[in-house]
Amino acid sequence: MKTLKPYLKYLSDAQIEEINEGSMSLLENTGIMVDHQEGLEFLEKHGAKVDYQTKRARIPRKLVTRALETVPDRFTLAARNPEKDCPLIPGGRPYSRNGGGADFTIDLETGEFRPLLHADVKEYYKLMDALEGISFIAPVFGQDMPVIGRDILMLREAFGNTDKPIHLRAFTGESLKLMFEMAAIVAGGKKELKERPIVSLLEAPISPLKFLDVTVDALWLCGEYGIPLDVCVMPIAGGTGPMTMAGNLQLLNTEFLAGVVISQLANPGAPLQYAARPMAMDMRTGFSMAGSVELGMMASAGAQMARFYNVPVSLHGPWSDSMSHDGQSILERTYMNTMAALSGANVLVGAGMMQQSLVISQEQLVIDDEINRIAFRAVEGFEINEEHLAAEVIDRVGPGGNFVADMHTYKFLRSERFETKLLYHNSRESWEEGGSTTLVDRAKEKALIIIKEHQPNPLPEDLGKELDEFVSKALKSLEK
Amino acid sequence: MSNNFEQMQKDLYDGKFSEVEAATKTALDEGMGAQDILNNGLVAGMEIVGRDFKSGELFIPEVLMCARAMHAGLEVLRPLLAESGAASMGKIILGTVTGDLHDIGKNLVSMMLQGAGFDIVDLGTDVKPEQFVAAVRDEGADIIGMSAMLTTTMPSMKSTITALKEAGIRDKVKVIIGGAPVTSKFAEEIGADRYAPDAGAAVDTVRELLV
Repeated sequence: MKTLKPYLKYLSDAQIEEINEGSMSLLENTGIMVDHQEGLEFLEKHGAKVDYQTKRARIPRKLVTRALETVPDRFTLAARNPEKDCPLIPGGRPYSRNGGGADFTIDLETGEFRPLLHADVKEYYKLMDALEGISFIAPVFGQDMPVIGRDILMLREAFGNTDKPIHLRAFTGESLKLMFEMAAIVAGGKKELKERPIVSLLEAPISPLKFLDVTVDALWLCGEYGIPLDVCVMPIAGGTGPMTMAGNLQLLNTEFLAGVVISQLANPGAPLQYAARPMAMDMRTGFSMAGSVELGMMASAGAQMARFYNVPVSLHGPWSDSMSHDGQSILERTYMNTMAALSGANVLVGAGMMQQSLVISQEQLVIDDEINRIAFRAVEGFEINEEHLAAEVIDRVGPGGNFVADMHTYKFLRSERFETKLLYHNSRESWEEGGSTTLVDRAKEKALIIIKEHQPNPLPEDLGKELDEFVSKALKSLEK
Repeated sequence: MSNNFEQMQKDLYDGKFSEVEAATKTALDEGMGAQDILNNGLVAGMEIVGRDFKSGELFIPEVLMCARAMHAGLEVLRPLLAESGAASMGKIILGTVTGDLHDIGKNLVSMMLQGAGFDIVDLGTDVKPEQFVAAVRDEGADIIGMSAMLTTTMPSMKSTITALKEAGIRDKVKVIIGGAPVTSKFAEEIGADRYAPDAGAAVDTVRELLV
């Protein structure tokens, strides 16, 4: 039998109830702003009190309760290659993805800080495709690419360079729909896409309590296509959310429930995740922080709320404010990721990212692959039974003996331990012989080898062709 | 009298706005000049606040509380200062550029600039180049500050500068830009006057440009 799932808990059951009650009452009395005429009408039709002047919708408790009833407790982020599917189940194992939306990179060869370019994109996909600790992939964008259709082109390249699930980023509602159509081509049809959604999306209300028209459209479009959605709630404590951790959590939970209402009343059963991504403002500078122990604490409490509502949860994992892949980066991302994993996160988000999510680096991705796999291992726990407890073996070896050559050691040699690909544990002598490399040196070396040698599983030729034709038509339609 | 100013500065530092307001009235009743109170009481007080903010001792909300206290005094003086012809410190137009709906950074800059005594015209989010141009014409501003959170919306900053040129008013205003993906290099490339990396730096930059 396995050990217990190690759940980190901050909230008591009574506190969870209190937060839930607080959100219900805020939704009913304060309400949300919905910058979407149809959305307001829709909410009114379902029983919300709507003030069209201020675009405010006050949502009664019974609507929220009804919406919560239809949220599925599990779903799968499907992959083009089914072996790489990521089933998200409350209490299940965590998966991970890179952070999306970086604008800059640290050049792998020269170490120079520079804009992320189109030429880098393929290398990033290859690398993330090869790394086992990156379960699915968010596209990266070249700053030198045309603005219109950039998201579509990036999805085309992603499909060609990885068979893992893909996490979309759309710049407009129009391009989002086009990208869902592209996904339908690869999945083999709209129905097939619904059954096995090979893409997913993140949408975030603007804190506090404001839903833009594009957000409402995206929530509904996801429901229509059956695309898994991260309802990403990220109030910035002290800025767009209360300064107190409890207050920020209260607001975050309220915004999540509002997202559930908009999604589920339109498309009951649409798959969604509680993406609890609390932020905190650095009160000295106004910057929003990625590395702060309180973020980990708030996120952990957010995961408890997700379990209370019985939905999968996505948290910030390997994340840092550091300017480079230095000690600060490793320190911040390791505690963030470990806290998130031990809080029951289904998805750990952020691999590769630094400097408030502006920078992604290949070395960092390789290091985060390791950090993620360590987190996976920590959550997995270990087996406890008569054979594993090994009383008989201890008796056999006896006081003063050793276990090295015992059959029991031989049997469990390879199944008990995390196998590091990057961390050094040997003698100083052999370390010096190997060039006295640091963790970052070894990550760089590994990244270079993968980029040179890794061959992603290509798209079938006919699919590639069909996609290309679709993309060129899509780009033309966007330019109009 | 300098003792009174010391107390006024201390109250301002502690964000005690009713005390600062009362002290300003008392100082006027005692026959002191409005300009004198402004310079040696309120502005001198805010200079201490600015120094301690820059050294990291004060947090932004504390600075805003100090600014609120400063404004409580300033409101008392304003009619008198207007009479004597003491002009505003400067007018700044702010906006998040077209296509971009992120505004917490821009709002912070707005609050800090108002705190420092500047007049702000906030155009909000999703502001098109022609709206900036119209605002410059209508408001007679000294500076426009543009914010962008996304690399996809950054090109709109350049369009605004071009629109200002085409309208023949580029030399009438200074342009400052900021936002997460923006860099000083980008500011240089598009012909902006300055780049400010954070709200505190934005206030300093505005001061430098208007002196």
